[in-house]
Amino acid sequence: MARAAVVGAGMTKFGVHDKPLQELFGEAALPALDDAGVEPSEIDAFYFGNAMSGQAENDTHLGPKLASHVGMAGVPVQRFEDACATSSNAFKNAVEAVDAGVHDVVLVGGVERCTPETGKDTAAMTRIFASASHRQYEQPTGLTFPGVFALFTKRHMHEYGTTEEQLAEVAVKNHGNGALNPNAHFGKETTVEEALDGPIVADPFRLMDCCPFSDGASAVVVVSEELADSYDAPVDVSGVGHATDVVPIGDKETPHVTQAARDAAAQAYEQADTSAAEMDFAEVHDCFTGAEILASEALGLVEDGEGGPAAEAGRTARDGDVPINPSGGLKAKGHPIGATGTAQLVELTEQLRGTAGERQIDGADSAVAHNLGGDAATTVVTVMEARR
Amino acid sequence: MSDRLTHGEWSDAVESGDLLGQTCSDCGKTQGTPKAACPHCGSRALETVELPTDGVVYTETTINVPPVGIEERGYQVAVVDLGEARVMGRLSDGEVEIGDPVELSGFTEDDDGYVAPAFEPR
Repeated sequence: MARAAVVGAGMTKFGVHDKPLQELFGEAALPALDDAGVEPSEIDAFYFGNAMSGQAENDTHLGPKLASHVGMAGVPVQRFEDACATSSNAFKNAVEAVDAGVHDVVLVGGVERCTPETGKDTAAMTRIFASASHRQYEQPTGLTFPGVFALFTKRHMHEYGTTEEQLAEVAVKNHGNGALNPNAHFGKETTVEEALDGPIVADPFRLMDCCPFSDGASAVVVVSEELADSYDAPVDVSGVGHATDVVPIGDKETPHVTQAARDAAAQAYEQADTSAAEMDFAEVHDCFTGAEILASEALGLVEDGEGGPAAEAGRTARDGDVPINPSGGLKAKGHPIGATGTAQLVELTEQLRGTAGERQIDGADSAVAHNLGGDAATTVVTVMEARR
Repeated sequence: MSDRLTHGEWSDAVESGDLLGQTCSDCGKTQGTPKAACPHCGSRALETVELPTDGVVYTETTINVPPVGIEERGYQVAVVDLGEARVMGRLSDGEVEIGDPVELSGFTEDDDGYVAPAFEPR
């Protein structure tokens, strides 16, 4: 049985946006309400995600600001911050609220601006992103976020022989998928040669192994399972798992296995009474190419150590046996931190409705989303299924 | 020294050329950084222990795009196996790969005075 259903979804194009946060969020929230066919007055609560606009734009207490802008001042609003897993954590709490009968109809979404439109250049934004690593035991080394995932990926390469070419194959695939997504930050294909020719950011990652700084917003309307049939095209939320791992990296038992993702996936599959083998595709948190390879293993989509070879063999392509990131993923679609989690769920909703256009996965009935935050210390995994 | 290792004591040790960690008396695991309770079993029975200053690189990366406040490019950050614990630090000299032996060589300090251990090849 489903725990909740998504009945409306909307997102902005991810990329560069020169407009205030509330206006950007309105461009995702109003389409989500229209898609659901609900008026702001029908929304019982607003669960909202934003990670770093306090640091990036001197803009906090965004809940009521955004609610006022989209016509729902007065409803209870709660804001979530969990680094890059921000809006999927908002979503988890919304699902729990409708599952428990606290609310019937909830707006969930996130917004973030990370490009130089905030007034912050790459070095300044790199420092803000690094604030999600441990202040005392990681940041003083000069660690950056590419550095965090580089540390995991280098160990994975050492253990399993994962190669830089296999990392590049992830970038090539996701850029190819992003080229079919009108909302993607990057709409251009790339090649393994181009990826391997880029400047090194934090080895083994070159520029094309890294997702961009993006601005954007995304939103979904979540309703209780009982109400779902009174809306057009509901998509069932059958499991949401959420787990954390030890911080800092040095104190994690086996950093590259991303234990939080394994624990969250196990919870989500168990709630949904399903398994990785039943998933028709996955949206995973590919902030770096190596992160997609680790996620594909942690979610059980491929065997441990097979993430690299699977990407190289085309198994994770849209026409492969385990399609990953048909949206283009963070790598090509973009990564506006607080908007990323619910944007993955927008993609699941569209694919499971069969309305994803050129990038549609044929016959997709079940899918999983994996949204990771911090030094792999938070992961939220969501299983959604088409209501037939 | 108090029973429970603090960040201040850990930092003072790093500046003096020592590395302190905590061993859990209940589950036996050792951590390279201070906690109020064991992250694995929740026990508060944590004993401050001196970690070896010689170790082996567990994983590493070289950072070419630094955050604001760091002018240098191409500095290496490593997670080092030190007996039962692991610690993250900066390479002060030389280049290392996974499996290479390293030793504590000093420390680096950020703009706010937070320190990190520094290692060099041994």
